[in-house]
Amino acid sequence: MVITTSTEKTAETRRPDPPPPSVLRRIAGHPRTPIIVALVLVCVAMALLSDSFLSSRNFTNILTQSTVVGIAAVGATLVIITGGIDLSVGAGVALAGMVASQLVNGGLAGFLGVVACLMIGAAIGAFNGISVAWLRLAPFIVTLAVLGMGRGLTLQLSQGQSVYGLPSGLTWLGGATIGAVPVPVFLLAAMFLIGHLVLSRTTLGHQIYAVGGNRQAARLSGIPDKRVLFQAYLIAGACAGLAALVLVGRLGAATPTAGTGLELQVIAAVVIGGTSLFGGKGSMVGTLIGVLLIGVINNGLTLLNVSPFWVQFIQGALILVAVLLDAFNQRRLSVTDA
Amino acid sequence: MRSDVPVPVVEFRGVSKSYPGIRALHEVSLTLAPGTVTALAGENGAGKSTFIKLLSGAEAADSGRILLRGGDLPTTPGAVIDAGVSVIYQELTDVPDMSLLDNLVLGRQPSRLGVVRRGAAKRAARAALDRVGLADLPLDRPVRQLSLAQRQLTEIARCLARDASVLVFDEPTSALSESDAQGLLDTITALRAQGMAILYVSHHLDELFEIADTIAVLRDGELVGVGPVGEWDEAKLVRAMLAKDMAHAYPWRDRPVGAERLDVRELDAPGVKRATLQVKSGEIVGLVGLAGAGRTELLKALAGLSVRSRGNVEVDGHPLPARAHDVVRHGVVYAPEDRKAEGLVLDASVVDNLSYGVYRSFTRAGWLRRGRQERLARAAIAGFGVKTRDPRQPAGKLSGGNQQKIVLARAAAHTPKVLLLDDPTRGVDVGAKAGIHEHVLTLAESGAAVLLTSSDTDEVLAMADRVYVLRAGRVVGELRRAEFDRERVLQLAAAG
Repeated sequence: MVITTSTEKTAETRRPDPPPPSVLRRIAGHPRTPIIVALVLVCVAMALLSDSFLSSRNFTNILTQSTVVGIAAVGATLVIITGGIDLSVGAGVALAGMVASQLVNGGLAGFLGVVACLMIGAAIGAFNGISVAWLRLAPFIVTLAVLGMGRGLTLQLSQGQSVYGLPSGLTWLGGATIGAVPVPVFLLAAMFLIGHLVLSRTTLGHQIYAVGGNRQAARLSGIPDKRVLFQAYLIAGACAGLAALVLVGRLGAATPTAGTGLELQVIAAVVIGGTSLFGGKGSMVGTLIGVLLIGVINNGLTLLNVSPFWVQFIQGALILVAVLLDAFNQRRLSVTDA
Repeated sequence: MRSDVPVPVVEFRGVSKSYPGIRALHEVSLTLAPGTVTALAGENGAGKSTFIKLLSGAEAADSGRILLRGGDLPTTPGAVIDAGVSVIYQELTDVPDMSLLDNLVLGRQPSRLGVVRRGAAKRAARAALDRVGLADLPLDRPVRQLSLAQRQLTEIARCLARDASVLVFDEPTSALSESDAQGLLDTITALRAQGMAILYVSHHLDELFEIADTIAVLRDGELVGVGPVGEWDEAKLVRAMLAKDMAHAYPWRDRPVGAERLDVRELDAPGVKRATLQVKSGEIVGLVGLAGAGRTELLKALAGLSVRSRGNVEVDGHPLPARAHDVVRHGVVYAPEDRKAEGLVLDASVVDNLSYGVYRSFTRAGWLRRGRQERLARAAIAGFGVKTRDPRQPAGKLSGGNQQKIVLARAAAHTPKVLLLDDPTRGVDVGAKAGIHEHVLTLAESGAAVLLTSSDTDEVLAMADRVYVLRAGRVVGELRRAEFDRERVLQLAAAG
């Protein structure tokens, strides 16, 4: 009979470990619990307030309307985990969509237009990445400058005119449906799955967390910190290119003001999803929930006939709440050294 | 009834404080009197930091009372400072780009109707600087331009400018060189003569004996001994701290030394001039010198953290690349002195911290194999004796000694050809120190060339097979272990 071991062990341990937390406690302590609760509460409230909220058609609607923000947010999550920020995403969407559409209207094959759109997005991301990683410029300023340049360039190239009558080769990704489900919804799901795998299962993801958590420590561990930063911005740019394709497809046109204010929604979704603006912390699952929360709120406010001006106000307020939570978490952690 | 015993200005009466799962302080009673230095000794986690947090008003006691001049200690840090109790921390808390004057009156600008009274501010600043022996520093100089020792003294002056009567020192010498540390101790002695009540916390036991009137020892949150300095000797003190006899024996032992691994010739870099030195496989070579002599600067230049403007550095006959991350891939691993700022990702888990950069061992084509990663990390945790409740716990939650073990364990995972150790036991308690020394030896025995420096010269002399003495960025001497002599080393370091 061996029943003495457990009592022996506790006698030996100087400071006995606290009992493992119960399932309920673990759920309560999980960093994503508040936002999931918020999402559920908002859904319940909308369902009570509006008859048309609870329908499969409306859900498809919410998802479709979330695709542009969602796809851009996948890239922005990587950038924000490195401790950076990308304000140029909306301008990138407009410029990539406009140039690709003009090229296709000028005779380029539709699928080459798709490639061009992705390449332009990636090129903008590469520009941001080089500026931040090797020229050591502040991400906020660089991407703000690129936002201005991108908007200006888009207006100049289009002379303020939208481009219509695009071939289906270019608009398929954004406008087509497979069965009852729009293609962008599949795209959104695929991008989040890939993004999640990159962050949690690849060397690049591991390195992104390390560089955002402590760049010097990462470098001294042999992590090529500049290349990692560059890759994060490059991917974010490519995501903006893909978001541009979805937007062009959904509207059936490229408009020079496309994606105005998109950066606000994207950053809101990422930060609400628990990614820290201080860098080093965050997850793709959190961002997905953040995107859905914003999507549901936008949709609900529309169903309730709330003025679109208020919608923008509420998005700003959401960012504020999320940043407050982030800052509180940061402070709580910094005083736990006993 | 009056007696000669000075009336205590601070009194802890049966003070207890617990954190979840940890009894940090238990029924501690201790007094601080004006004109005396009370030293607080104890291992990491013994409760010294908690004691300071309670005294500074940063945290509240669970039970017991803390009295300041007979009344209760205020409950917020700001009010405690106003009441005359100031803490000088290990890390500087100044604003580097502000002038000395602005730093000294920070938060306490003398003003009338919102207008700063420059004259009054200058007089107060001058008076405070005078008391710490910095009377001739220009007040308009940004503190960034001052030396570390001067900035440390400036911190004290700032407390004095706030009319502090109780000063608490938390490991103030850990970042200072030997001579600067001595200067600080002299200043503290002078402040004692001015009637300040001083609490001094340090891992350097010899410092305690030098300046303390009373030594108090904490162990596992309990005050296990307190008495006049004359009643203590080093062995008794260590025994009280550890509750077992463990003189801090250094585990140096003879070991085979192989071929030359690190070859530095005529190296110029920021803070380093024409440095030439060699380290062989299996050899532990120390760098000694005063602060500013270029010890850290030399290691940083080799690690690729500063630009090597001239000279050659070869490892196993191949030139060393310039960039820090390439240097690591070349087998040269640097363990920085400031492990919180440069060594670890504090928010990330212990497992992740052990795996940065060693991807070859647990990835395939860019994909992580999480199971393998965790197995390797657990093996490293066991091998290096890292005490952690859960390997998925953030590294920032571990003690200094355990954090240093993580840095070393990761360095070992790189199977280093050359190991650059910058003050590897800084701020680490006696027990963990011995463990770290043992691991350094093991790494040398496995063939690494070890280049070691420390703020504690005795540590370097105890661990090294050979030392280079640095002065003003130059290598001014080389001694083999048989020739080690503390006096001679310090003489070389100071003047040549």
